Amino acid sequence: MDNLNVDRSKRKVLIQKGLIYLFLVIFALFIIIPFYWMILTSLKDIDRIQTEIPPSLIIGFKDMLFSNYIMALNAAPYLRYMLNTVIVAGISTVGTIITTVLASFAFARLNFRGRDLIFMLLISTMMIPGEMFVITNYITVSDLGWYSPLGQTQTQALLALTFPFMTSVFYVFFLRQAFKTIPDELYLAAKVDGTSDFKYLWKIMVPIAMPTIITITILNAMGTWSAYIWPNLVTAEEEFRLVTNGLRNAYVDFSGMVAYNEQMAAAMIVTLPLLIVFLLLKKYIMRGVSRSGIKG
Amino acid sequence: MLEKKSNIKAWFYLLPAMALLSVFTFYPLFNAFYLAILRDFSFLNRTASGFTLFGNFIEVIKDRNFAIAMKNTSIIVFVSVPISVLVALFISVGLNSIKKLQGIFQTIFFLPYVTNAIAIGMAFAFIFHSDYGLFNTFLGWFGIDPVNWIGMGASWSTAMFALLIFTVWGGLAFKIMVFLSGLQSIDKQYYDAARVDATPRSRVFRRITVPLLSPMIAYITITSFIGAFKAYRTIIGMFGPTLRPPGTLSKDSLITIVGLVYQSLRNADTIGEISRAASASIILFAITLIFTLIQMWVSKKRVHY
Amino acid sequence: MEITLKNLTKIFQEKDKGEITAVNNLNITIPSGKLVGLLGPSGCGKSTTLYLIAGLLNPNKGRIFFGDEDVTDMPPEERGIGLVFQNYALYPHMTVRQNIMFPLENIKVEKQEALKRSQEMADLVGIGELMDRKPKQLSGGQQQRVAIARALVKKPRVLLLDEPLSNLDARLRLATREEIKRIQRETGITTLFVTHDQEEAMSISDQIVLLNFGIKQQEGEPQDVYDQPDNLFSAKFLGTPPINIFEGEIKNKKLIFNDMELTTKDSPDKNVLIGIRPEGFIIDKKSAFSLSVYMVETIGRDTTLIIKNPLDEEETFRAIVDASHRIKPGDTIKFKIKPEKLFVFDPETGELL
Repeated sequence: MDNLNVDRSKRKVLIQKGLIYLFLVIFALFIIIPFYWMILTSLKDIDRIQTEIPPSLIIGFKDMLFSNYIMALNAAPYLRYMLNTVIVAGISTVGTIITTVLASFAFARLNFRGRDLIFMLLISTMMIPGEMFVITNYITVSDLGWYSPLGQTQTQALLALTFPFMTSVFYVFFLRQAFKTIPDELYLAAKVDGTSDFKYLWKIMVPIAMPTIITITILNAMGTWSAYIWPNLVTAEEEFRLVTNGLRNAYVDFSGMVAYNEQMAAAMIVTLPLLIVFLLLKKYIMRGVSRSGIKG
Repeated sequence: MLEKKSNIKAWFYLLPAMALLSVFTFYPLFNAFYLAILRDFSFLNRTASGFTLFGNFIEVIKDRNFAIAMKNTSIIVFVSVPISVLVALFISVGLNSIKKLQGIFQTIFFLPYVTNAIAIGMAFAFIFHSDYGLFNTFLGWFGIDPVNWIGMGASWSTAMFALLIFTVWGGLAFKIMVFLSGLQSIDKQYYDAARVDATPRSRVFRRITVPLLSPMIAYITITSFIGAFKAYRTIIGMFGPTLRPPGTLSKDSLITIVGLVYQSLRNADTIGEISRAASASIILFAITLIFTLIQMWVSKKRVHY
Repeated sequence: MEITLKNLTKIFQEKDKGEITAVNNLNITIPSGKLVGLLGPSGCGKSTTLYLIAGLLNPNKGRIFFGDEDVTDMPPEERGIGLVFQNYALYPHMTVRQNIMFPLENIKVEKQEALKRSQEMADLVGIGELMDRKPKQLSGGQQQRVAIARALVKKPRVLLLDEPLSNLDARLRLATREEIKRIQRETGITTLFVTHDQEEAMSISDQIVLLNFGIKQQEGEPQDVYDQPDNLFSAKFLGTPPINIFEGEIKNKKLIFNDMELTTKDSPDKNVLIGIRPEGFIIDKKSAFSLSVYMVETIGRDTTLIIKNPLDEEETFRAIVDASHRIKPGDTIKFKIKPEKLFVFDPETGELL
């Protein structure tokens, strides 16, 4: 009798476990399918895509057309876009780190009149939708001569793409939190030894807060990689745009049909680096996520 | 030494960030209100014929597109957010209760967080392709005829359905991450106590997990509402800059409020468009402000168990 | 280096509480080459005093002298002090060696010289083999030593220690306190340390300074302060178990408690507070002073009797007696009081009468 009960409850637990795994597998498939579909399509021959109805869900290695990627890269000046993106990400990230580190230090460590009020004001701008800023920034960038629909130079385009993004309230907030966790005593100890504020920031705080600074670097670089709206607004020439802009190029074959394989290959080219960065640097990215609720 | 207010030094450290923020954040904030009350503002000549307090707002609201945008945005907000919050909650509880393969599942569920909405939007668009798409293939297994989801002349409702699926897909990762960290911070003793009392899983979920997680659920729901009000990139990704399936009328557009802003901004050279963009952005601001206030009120009241 | 504090006063402006006088007109002399403990309950201003001496805080009033030199307006780095914090404040991303060398970097000591000096210091405090470890890989006691080495490496004139033992477990505390005493003696540096633990202060200090509410209560060698408390606070703060305090009166030159005469006292009649150290009770069958034992704690070496105050059932006394007496709860015992363990205080001012 007892044994029977144990068996029954064991079976019940097993069934429950099985159902949980089934549920998770179904949703994991839901998450993975778009990626799979993207890779699969990017490797298919266009004829096969257009004639196979319903489409095949797997593809043999010998049928894979890696040349689609070359075609995709040629359909738009992709290498150029990548170079642009790397330059823009590099400049804006370096700028952001410098301004963020300095400002976070002031808010976390220094004592000055109006500190808490100013910080509150900064924080409250985080809830304001970015579109409110974009309108005026578009005008400002035009006024500064960095953008005109009639044309612009490489330098002007770079200025327009990077300058408005050389600092971020969210990152200041995020780094200040990290700085705040460093005990006051470290600062006092350094003071007793005659360490200047700047040296303390550079030699003690920055190394200790390095994981957070790495997180900011990654998030900022990924943000630039995925930027679409602003580069679209303030670049006058095709060749100054960034990778994501290239995605909305028309991928059509000679007969005017959409070349889905090339389109998906292009999407893969943009997505793959993000996935690789994510898988390699997951722990840094996750750290940022828990704080970024406000960003939605 | 330490107590002394170091005003000058502090401003030296703040200067770079504050200078940039002044130009690109604070000034634009006020300028948006200024632009919104200019009458017949010309972007080309930077001139206006005077001021109008509500003129631009009225024009935005009277525009047919505004009603469409409000409808679309509301549906995205009030359908996709509750669904994704609920699904994310179930997934996190499931994830939290297993040991084997937890890491792999976790990584998979987090993947959408880093992806590019435009690129993935294109993949979704192709999934919903009427002839070559995966979704119709899937329906075909159950004997359902192909549906023209987002193709030439597709209906608003099928296009919206596809968009919602994509939106839920994109919104899960962040919510799962937050819920999971919340679940992991719940004291295991509650669960041990419940197990000793032979509490069934479903009751543990309803009586322990959900109440303990309720502050987080409220927070995520409201911030997700705010985030979803800003939907735009997903639509560009799936439908391109026209924001609607090809060969459809503008009444079937999937434009959102943010879409209105950018539509006006793209026609900046037309007299008054900048002011209408500013007005639309202020309307969006007002909506998010309301939700932010609700958020603050809720978190002050502390959702309790 | 003798340290002199003259009329030192520090007032904090708190947002909701108004002004708080953390240090009130303090006059202390710390003799050169001595180990001095600054002792008091939490919030008594002892850490503030330490920070004032370090120069991390500025006094509102008063002067601080190192020898004859007035250092009151000097920034901390020019005072020549070594400071060890309660949580050690080691830089977590640096190795032990880098931590110890850091202060030398600021005064631009040549690399080779700096390496040599930090190794010497590390050897002195007994962590010479741990130079390449990170603070996280060290035990609490080892971290403490690194902090002391870092404070001493630049050859300061004065060593300041803020609650140096409070983050250590009981066993380590005993060992470390001997260690601090040894290092101080070997270097001969004038050392001031702050603690709330009277046992700790008494065991290693050459002198102690008792502080309460920012006001100096008493100053002197530990045994002297214990034997001759100036006031109720001093009497209560030193000693474990603490001194027994109860209400009594002086009547006709006799000290009376609960109608029993304890001793004679040549003072005018008044109500007083009587303090008797636990070791001041002697069992004496001839005495008129009798109390009923409530509980007995045996630890082997001696026996502690817990006695309910006959005037106030909520209060208990502790009397430590020789273990040879076999006493059971409920017994009524007659006591004689050692005169040197008995103190009489003014109930209003707390001063010794």
